[in-house]
Amino acid sequence: MNNLVDNTSVIDIRGLKKRFGLGDAEHYAIDGLDLRVNKGEFIAIMGPSGCGKTTLLNIIALLDIATSGDYFINGTDVSKLSSAKRARQRAKHIGFVFQDFNLINNMNVIENVALPLTYSGVRGTKRLETASKMLANFHLHEREYYMPSQLSGGQSQRVAIARALVTNPSLILADEPTGNLDSKASHIIMEELSDIHKRGNTIIMVTHNPDLTAYADRVITMLDGTIDTDTKDIGKEKKTTKKRPLNKLKAASKKKKQSTKPPKESVK
Amino acid sequence: MIRPLLFEHIATARESLRRTRTRTMLSVIGIAIGVASITAILALSGGITHVIDKQIKNTGDNLLIVKPKVQTADSANFTNPLSANQYTTSPLDESDLELVYKNENVKMAAPLMTVGGTVKYNSGPPVNATILSTTPSFTETSPLVLSDGQFIDSVTLENTAVLGAQTAIDLFGTEQAVGKSFKLRGENFTTIGVIKRQQSPINYNNVDFDSSVIISFDSGKLFNHGIAQIQQINVIASNSANLEKLRDQLTKVISKNHSGDRDINVLIGKEITTPTNQLFNFMRTMLAMIAGISLVVGGIGVMNIMLVSVAERVREIGLRKSVGATTGSIAAQFLIEALITCSIGGFIGFISGYAVAFTASRFLPYDPLFSWDILLTALLLSIGIGIIFGLYPAIRAARKQPIESLRHSR
Repeated sequence: MNNLVDNTSVIDIRGLKKRFGLGDAEHYAIDGLDLRVNKGEFIAIMGPSGCGKTTLLNIIALLDIATSGDYFINGTDVSKLSSAKRARQRAKHIGFVFQDFNLINNMNVIENVALPLTYSGVRGTKRLETASKMLANFHLHEREYYMPSQLSGGQSQRVAIARALVTNPSLILADEPTGNLDSKASHIIMEELSDIHKRGNTIIMVTHNPDLTAYADRVITMLDGTIDTDTKDIGKEKKTTKKRPLNKLKAASKKKKQSTKPPKESVK
Repeated sequence: MIRPLLFEHIATARESLRRTRTRTMLSVIGIAIGVASITAILALSGGITHVIDKQIKNTGDNLLIVKPKVQTADSANFTNPLSANQYTTSPLDESDLELVYKNENVKMAAPLMTVGGTVKYNSGPPVNATILSTTPSFTETSPLVLSDGQFIDSVTLENTAVLGAQTAIDLFGTEQAVGKSFKLRGENFTTIGVIKRQQSPINYNNVDFDSSVIISFDSGKLFNHGIAQIQQINVIASNSANLEKLRDQLTKVISKNHSGDRDINVLIGKEITTPTNQLFNFMRTMLAMIAGISLVVGGIGVMNIMLVSVAERVREIGLRKSVGATTGSIAAQFLIEALITCSIGGFIGFISGYAVAFTASRFLPYDPLFSWDILLTALLLSIGIGIIFGLYPAIRAARKQPIESLRHSR
């Protein structure tokens, strides 16, 4: 299998499945998904609620384990790693930005940012130095010793992004990073992510907001646990059976927002 | 990788304990009480052993004690106590003493025989004192010093006695008792010497010499219808290297003299220092058990608080895992927190245990023993309790799945 892996790709996923429940309650949140992400891409994953976006992101982040399928990060098979090795891969390769920031309340800003370095084996003072430099990039150097409760939502998310970047990961994953922010703060956060992308980082972002896809250079739409549309494939031969034009999907998404009907039906 | 994480865990634990200082203090107190009780018991019981140990050192390391085999004070029959004076049925008699004297490896031996009865002066009230009957060589097998007069010797008359300092005061109101007469079981005795105050009622002779009357072996026999009933024979070996050999020889000859009955014990070295008093053993065992129970209760308190801490910090655990913490490092983080709690408890307990022991020793005739063994025991107990009761919460924390933990509501 390894000889087939394209080493320029950061992520290579083949035939990924994730099952929840057993017997009658069995349900595939991810159902045979293939995805290849190249270095430096900014991908926005969209789709209705329950389509498997977050599950996919959690599996990519090695926070969850797939039921079957192959998953390579930088050419290394990570689908069957032990819990400790997955933790090491997380520390080394992945930066995660959460919707609700997930800052540790009893640690100040700089300690929160420095936290991932702890598990990468960086020593005390060096940790704080690196975290301080990272915070300065986000214009938060004056807030280093603030507690998370003293920050606004936008500031908290910038701290969370700084934390995700501090280990210089090859992959940044963001699960609805603007979900808890107002439009102005959302814009600032997206600008930050865009900047990070321009510096050569690979970003995968899950979002419900179609407006944010403008920042991404590749938009993937998921439906029922598989990739429905992928802007990378436009103009190429269709790989999946259920492809729809992106503009139609965006319209469907907007319609879904206005409609009270379940999202799946609105897309169909 | 391990070293920086260890410091990180200690810093995290310190911060976490500082934040919840009230409940941490309560768990610390739980452990401290347990460790304090054990420290106090060890220090006080060690003190008794130490006192006897010191006496043996003063006598020399070639001391053997021949004693009748006594019913051991096991926990099964503590409700059926042995007779108060086990010596009354001692199988040792003068023929055994002769056998001891005859042994070529014995340098010196002194019998110890207690005689029942009280002493009184004129028409005064009877004074409670242990009446001992022994030979002149006794002073060389036991560390006795006279403050006045002389000890009984081969030329002193039968009706002479040496008094303990307290007995002298009880009888005559003064320690200057040489030459004064008193009545022992109706017989007139003259004081020829007074033992210097020892204040060590705990010794391998099981006699408080301050409250004793020592008479000659022959006088003792007269009170016992001419038969010697010896409770103990203190033997000094001619060579300390032959102690084991001498023990075997003595056991053999005395058993043979008792028609093959192995009804005596010959104690050497450490065996002598082990207090044989069943009440002492029983009390020590009971107290140690109670202390052990309180330590376990303290440990359960720590476990409880650690489980609360884990429950409160589910999201933090999820986050730490999502940024690269392994199961092991999460477990170590919580285990170190439990260990720090228990170590603080152990330290406070050790100090308070000694405070209790020293306070108690004001009412006891000996000082508590300070030894590194007790410090080590307290340290190991605290660490042991920390590991035993911290392990389950730590494993519970470590097993949390990052996804579920991150979804956990605040």
